[in-house]
Amino acid sequence: MIDVLFFGPVVERTRVNSLQIPFSPGMSLQSLHDALAARYPHAFEIVCFIAVNEQQVRDLSMLLTDNSEVTFMAKFSGG
Amino acid sequence: MKAAVRIQQEDFSQDEEIAALKASSQRIGGIATFVGCARDFSEGRAVSQISFDAYGSMAVLEMSQLRMDAIEKFGLLDARLVHRICTVGPGDNIVFIAAGAEHRVAALEACRWMIDELKARVPIWKKEVTPQGDSWVTAHP
Repeated sequence: MIDVLFFGPVVERTRVNSLQIPFSPGMSLQSLHDALAARYPHAFEIVCFIAVNEQQVRDLSMLLTDNSEVTFMAKFSGG
Repeated sequence: MKAAVRIQQEDFSQDEEIAALKASSQRIGGIATFVGCARDFSEGRAVSQISFDAYGSMAVLEMSQLRMDAIEKFGLLDARLVHRICTVGPGDNIVFIAAGAEHRVAALEACRWMIDELKARVPIWKKEVTPQGDSWVTAHP
């Protein structure tokens, strides 16, 4: 399974803070992103950053591994 | 002694943080600090509360990396970063940053750099509660 997390302004739009998505070999970050963006288009309008296992990732062609934690995040506003 | 990098609900003590920084090295000759606190006005609206959400585990990792980056970039002797994740009212403390160096210039420049980097790099989000409703803050001036 892939654990998907949402926080703050993204949660406000998805109405859920986590999901479990079945893993399939060859699954890319791009395919996960596109599937969730189709499911939550309003939320993904504000997604600016993606982290895989707590590390920010910019290359959406990255292949995911089973039990990965993927987080789709809006622009940060701490401080 | 408390960790040099933390997120926490409760308020922090600036005196304790500075004492911890001083205890790390007697070569420190300058300490610069930044305290971010909640305002009662933003974008033309009254703000009664600010609440925070964070990707906690990644936030601590990123703040720890940021601290190490600052120590290397500015030649600091030590640095500390504390961010509250809770709901605060006007005047309440939000974030504390301290840089300790042999001399003032490195400490001052590092402190400014760390708060700017924290706003850009650390997965924390703030929501302002106003009479017109709640809204997540997307800019980080």
